[in-house]
Amino acid sequence: MKLSLFFRRHRIATAVVIALFLVILPQVLTSAYHLRVATLVGIYVLLVSGLNIIIGFTGMFSLGHAAFYGIGAYTSAMLTTMVGWNFWVALPVAGIVAALFGSLIGLATLRLRRVFLAFTTLGFGEIVRILILNLRSITRGPMGISGIPVPKLFGWSFTGRGYYYLILVLATLTVATIYRMYHSRVGRALIAIREDETAAASMGINVFGHKVLAFTMGCFFAGIAGSYFAHFQRFVSADSFANLESFAIITMLALGGTGSIIGPILGSTILVLIPEIFRFLMRYRGVIYGLTLIVVIVYRPGGLANVKGVFEKPKLPKRPGKGRFGFGRRRPAAVTGESV
Amino acid sequence: MFIQQLVNGITQGSMFALLAISFGIVYGTLRLLNFATGSMYMIGAYFGWLMVHHVASNLFLALLAGAAAGYVVGYILERFAFRALRGVARIASLICTIGFAMFFNELMSVVFGAERKAMPSFYADTAFVIQGVSVSWLQIILVMVAATVLILLQLLIYRTKLGLAIRAVSLDFKTASLMGIPTDRVISLTFSLAGAVAGISGVLAAAYYNALFPYMGNMAGLKSFSAAVFGGLTSIPGAILGGYLLGIIENFAVQFISSGYRDIIGFSILVIFLLLRPQGLLGRKTD
Repeated sequence: MKLSLFFRRHRIATAVVIALFLVILPQVLTSAYHLRVATLVGIYVLLVSGLNIIIGFTGMFSLGHAAFYGIGAYTSAMLTTMVGWNFWVALPVAGIVAALFGSLIGLATLRLRRVFLAFTTLGFGEIVRILILNLRSITRGPMGISGIPVPKLFGWSFTGRGYYYLILVLATLTVATIYRMYHSRVGRALIAIREDETAAASMGINVFGHKVLAFTMGCFFAGIAGSYFAHFQRFVSADSFANLESFAIITMLALGGTGSIIGPILGSTILVLIPEIFRFLMRYRGVIYGLTLIVVIVYRPGGLANVKGVFEKPKLPKRPGKGRFGFGRRRPAAVTGESV
Repeated sequence: MFIQQLVNGITQGSMFALLAISFGIVYGTLRLLNFATGSMYMIGAYFGWLMVHHVASNLFLALLAGAAAGYVVGYILERFAFRALRGVARIASLICTIGFAMFFNELMSVVFGAERKAMPSFYADTAFVIQGVSVSWLQIILVMVAATVLILLQLLIYRTKLGLAIRAVSLDFKTASLMGIPTDRVISLTFSLAGAVAGISGVLAAAYYNALFPYMGNMAGLKSFSAAVFGGLTSIPGAILGGYLLGIIENFAVQFISSGYRDIIGFSILVIFLLLRPQGLLGRKTD
């Protein structure tokens, strides 16, 4: 706790040190492989931060985030290889297309109750994967799209370091945008919706509109991440966007802490690095992710950032004067049994 | 062709119905969704396979092994994902079961390998032929096993003291515990039952397709959840109906559309029903 206080007091100094570290990092990481891992962390920061808007701020459980990631990747891949667009045009367009799909899905499903929304978005993720595999004429089916061009800037082709700096810029922009949004009127409205929809609505917040907006924003960042990934990997196939990917993103979010700005960065960094540092754990990657998710939700619902997120929302007692101000801080479930 | 699709649909529908019931029991008593249902199905299949390969090559012993494995996994899930999270937002439990699903699937793929394992075929002889469509003994046994399990469950819930306790807990948790019902034990048992049913379904599926692999539960779990929503999550007959209908619709749809789109049908039904008729075909409206 003292450490966090130190960081809070010397906020600017900390920021400068971290920024310097991130800028100098590629000079230190000489091996191309290490640079690649650092770049992967950046992609996940984009994905997890986007999902954080949906789950962490607004409390909507979307389990199909990888689908929007995939939509972005395929949009960009198809635009650059088949139509011949420039990467710099395809990147924002991929984000917009993913956002468009997100808003359509949002319009259709965001009125559902939480648990059902979770399953519907999961189903949507699966539908996207199946469509990618079957619409052979557009997506080349199970073969995937290869030969995606390397991005160029003023005639200079991107290499390992270029890719790293590009994702650093994208991730910084994303986090900064989300930070500003969080502290704006919209951000406060989203938090209000997460805490209590009815109360938010009676305060004059357009609940459904804000939900769709949050969902669209989250999907936009996923689309950008997808486009970047397509040009980084230079090959896309449906396997990269399966449900397991969505679950990995959720695990990172839960570990970092839902509803916090720094949480997604911490979560994605740790969960990408652990299997890479301890190579013998690579086989157990999924096992580790599953265990992490279980342990975090049961023992530390606030995640590493430990802000009040979505997982530790005790239901308010039905009868006034009972429960909340009764005996002890957290009453045993057998006594309250509210959510049962 | 029509009869062929119908027979296939009913056989697959039996497995969906069992899994849908597994979802339904848990949702009915606790209003919680258990995402790891598909994992219980997969683990059941693996233990059935272990039984067949290492102990005795008998389908019914395999079914028992699968049910036992599912029972234990159901207990573990309740103990660690749900009891600890009672009183916290419901969605936390759902996400926690996703963690368990990931954990179990990956664990099995590390232990047994990610590749498909072959399940020997049982009772593959033709039982009878209707209009040129042959029905094997296995298909008959499969439907009979599913029917027996479903009837036993119905009897358990509506004819026994334990069933009364389960229904009491599902109606009002607090009052049930005041009436001297050991609610923790009842809930734990409900989960174990759901696990056993899912395990049986997994062994049946492995025997029917002659194959099992660590991720077999993902799609099956999602589809049977669609089936459960389709029929009505809170009603046991609804879940059964949903399971069989989904099996039949899927097989007919494959006939008309490409087989690549087979898996989309369940989700389309899921989305349509959640939006237009969330209580399903036979369910009653709740909150």
